[in-house]
Amino acid sequence: MMTGSLRGPASRIVARAFGLVVLAVVVVAVCLSTLTLTDAPVPVAFALLVLAGSAITLSFALAPVIAGAADPLDPRRFAVLGLSSRSLAWQLAGAGFVSVPVLAVLAFDICAAVVWTSHGVPGLVSVLTALLHVATCVLVARLSLAFSAAVLRPRRTRELSGLFVLGVVVVLVPVIVFLSSLEWQGQVPSALATAADVLGRTPLGAATALPGGIALGDGGSAWASAVIALATVAAAAWGWMAVVERALSTIENPASATGRGGLGWFAVVPGTPGGMIAARSLVYWLRDSRYIANFAIVPIVGLLPTIPLLVAGVPGPIAALVPVPIIALFLGWLPHNDIAYDSSAVWVHIASGVRGLPDRIGRLVPVILVAIPVLAVAIPVSTALYGRWAVLPAIIGVAASLFLAGLGLSSISSVIAPYAVSRPGDSPFQQPQRADSTGVGAQALVMLGAIVLSAPALWFGWLTVTSDVSYADTALWSGLGVGAVVLILGVGVGSWIFERSDERIMAFAGTT
Amino acid sequence: MPENGQRCALIGRYVVRVTRRTGIRAPVRRGCYGERVSTSPGEDDAGTADSREDAAGQRPAGKRPVAKRPAPKRKVGKRPSRPVPAEAAPQAQPEVATTAVDLLEPQESAPDLAAPAPEPDLEPEIVGVLPTDTPAEPEAEAPEPRETAVEIPNTEAEEPVVDDVERADEDAAPAIEDSAAEDPAPVSQAAADAPPALVLRGVSRSYGGSTAVAGIDLTIPAGSFYGLVGPNGAGKTTTMSMIAGLLRPDRGEIQVGGIDLAKNPRAAKAMLGVLPDRLRTFDRLTGRQLLYYYGVLRGLKPAVVAQRTADLARAFDLTEALGRVVSDYSAGMTKKVMLAGAMIHSPRLLVLDEPFEAVDPVSSANILEILSAYVAHGGTVLLSSHGMDLIERVCTRVAVIVGGQLLAEGTVQEVRGEMTLEQRFVELSGEVSSMEGLEWLHTFSD
Repeated sequence: MMTGSLRGPASRIVARAFGLVVLAVVVVAVCLSTLTLTDAPVPVAFALLVLAGSAITLSFALAPVIAGAADPLDPRRFAVLGLSSRSLAWQLAGAGFVSVPVLAVLAFDICAAVVWTSHGVPGLVSVLTALLHVATCVLVARLSLAFSAAVLRPRRTRELSGLFVLGVVVVLVPVIVFLSSLEWQGQVPSALATAADVLGRTPLGAATALPGGIALGDGGSAWASAVIALATVAAAAWGWMAVVERALSTIENPASATGRGGLGWFAVVPGTPGGMIAARSLVYWLRDSRYIANFAIVPIVGLLPTIPLLVAGVPGPIAALVPVPIIALFLGWLPHNDIAYDSSAVWVHIASGVRGLPDRIGRLVPVILVAIPVLAVAIPVSTALYGRWAVLPAIIGVAASLFLAGLGLSSISSVIAPYAVSRPGDSPFQQPQRADSTGVGAQALVMLGAIVLSAPALWFGWLTVTSDVSYADTALWSGLGVGAVVLILGVGVGSWIFERSDERIMAFAGTT
Repeated sequence: MPENGQRCALIGRYVVRVTRRTGIRAPVRRGCYGERVSTSPGEDDAGTADSREDAAGQRPAGKRPVAKRPAPKRKVGKRPSRPVPAEAAPQAQPEVATTAVDLLEPQESAPDLAAPAPEPDLEPEIVGVLPTDTPAEPEAEAPEPRETAVEIPNTEAEEPVVDDVERADEDAAPAIEDSAAEDPAPVSQAAADAPPALVLRGVSRSYGGSTAVAGIDLTIPAGSFYGLVGPNGAGKTTTMSMIAGLLRPDRGEIQVGGIDLAKNPRAAKAMLGVLPDRLRTFDRLTGRQLLYYYGVLRGLKPAVVAQRTADLARAFDLTEALGRVVSDYSAGMTKKVMLAGAMIHSPRLLVLDEPFEAVDPVSSANILEILSAYVAHGGTVLLSSHGMDLIERVCTRVAVIVGGQLLAEGTVQEVRGEMTLEQRFVELSGEVSSMEGLEWLHTFSD
């Protein structure tokens, strides 16, 4: 099957061969650097190997879901062979060992075993744990493939894959920024050591932590890791059995696959009015130039103020903290006129008798979906530039407060005071024809309101930076609290008004 | 001869009923109304109504038809239409023409045919015959046991029923014609307890001083194909927006199926399918997405919506276009997809503002067929149009609005009287604008 994948059009052969070569290079590099750990202190080796092993297990679990690849070893394909489900499960799991990624993991684990053996761990234990780790990876990947085939395939769309990638970015970027900003001086940074300890007790890293525990002379943790690792493999094997059993005893429900094609975002969201409005808003936010122009403004207004600040002699680290609150504020402010962008098409909502809550929440979804990755990237970068990770909670608190309060106020203002915008299909910079409502009031009120409501978080954030870092947690919780309360209140009030002002909204929409 | 005619009527009536029950299509294009394109049973109604009208010479008959119509309607509404709109209707719509739901169709047109026929005479035997013959609809005849100018022996009625079932279609229409002409037989009180599809009472609305709609009273019986006509700026769109719940009347009350639109808007709106004129839709969605959006916003399950989307797309000939963005559609296709969206939750009342504007003749004939089948199954259609001949052709009843006021209301025949609807309309809407003052136009300037 592996060599079979090398047959096909020339371009694909080249691509695959190139991928194989790259993979081989990476594996060799990783193995070599792993082998250098034979000279490193045991704690360093422990932390690095546990982290690497956990990352590998995690990627085996996630890759099938994200990539959405079809499983060549789907148990259902073998149903016609008439094997018993138990033997088939074993055979498929065994066949799962023979694949390029697993070979790469095997190489890594062999190197790890060599390292541990040189650190005084019995060779047998090293080999067994290596096998344990590989088995965990294989079984987890099989389960993940089965899950993705059963649950996600029918609703898989480009949008869903995009969401997964977004999720990976949201997780990876902060971690990478964080790791790269740490100071390595032959020592494992304490945060990293803690992370390795914790991971060593989870199913992800238990197998790789086992020999480390022995090498460190910590029998207790070694035993704990061993139990967890064995339990993980056992549970995964049991789950795989169940999956194969089910695959052989049921048939695919073709109905679930029909009718959802071509729906784009609509296939991703739940089939409720709120989900519909969220999907429709997403389509518009991502495709309509009027919305895109709004998004495009955010990074500009966020970054521009730093230039005059730097020119004026404000120290770089302080200036680095400025963009995040501004970006958060503008992101929260974006949907403050959302209804107006619907123009008269909003009649659909009113004629359908849509409740206020799904309307309000659905309209916030696209902004939230964009804001989370933006902030997830901006906050760690900003913190890293500032140089002290202790202020991180304060920055999160300030950003959350501004963003959530902005969303809450926007939910109210877009019902109460929509103002004319350029119509669908017009240029985003074309001025609307109506002059009677310029919307300055609504714009300013939402923005000022969000700032005023975020005063506690801003004040504690200021104290964190200027006087005492210990205010960071206060800033975090006050920011999250105020933001959540304002958001809930805003959405509630906005819904209430929405249901009672259909006439006014239509009167407004009919004239734009 | 009168006997003969009445007998024919009887036969026709039963035949029709039987054929319907057996799933054969109800009398379509029959008799002297053959020229009508639509298969709507409403036509029959209109035709019969007007002939009755003429014979009776009763102009103010508006009352009567209003009252009468609900009788069939109620039946429809009660029995078949409840379940049908709920699940079967959408799928049925496309195929109605061929696969008429047996129970539904009979009921709709049976009363129609029956109405003009000499009911008084028939009553006795009907009551007797019906239970045995068509147990499905006892109530149709039940409420009218009053007049008894019996001319035909009961026995006579029963035999034809049995014998002539097959050829009924041909006979039905002429028979009705004759009998209708002879006997205006009002059926008035039968209808009293059926909730009309729509009631407007003293509805008025003004925009910043200028009155758009000034106190309209209108009752639309369930199961009618109702046309709203009026000159430009007469307040048609305002009226329809208020009915659709997009505008609130300044004064007056609107009831949809007996539910007050102002007090219980969500329940009332759930019964409405709306096609507004000149309002945008979310045209960056594809056709499929848009219909899905409409359907789920109306509270349907996604799987149901997907199924209905496919059915509607087939019926409206939109299947190819479903994957394209609606803003790329032509005006007519946009109308069609929005019309499909208005129907997707199988409402009881369709409020369609200029549904045929920019729609090509083939499509509009197609849409008319769908709407007629919808009405035949108990649905109610209220549409506005500038096309008088279209209204005349398809609508059972019509209202003329001029200057925000209701000038005429009733069956098409009642409203148009001796003239064509267009002439009558021009007459009602006042002066044919004089060309005085435009003489300079005739002295060409070069």
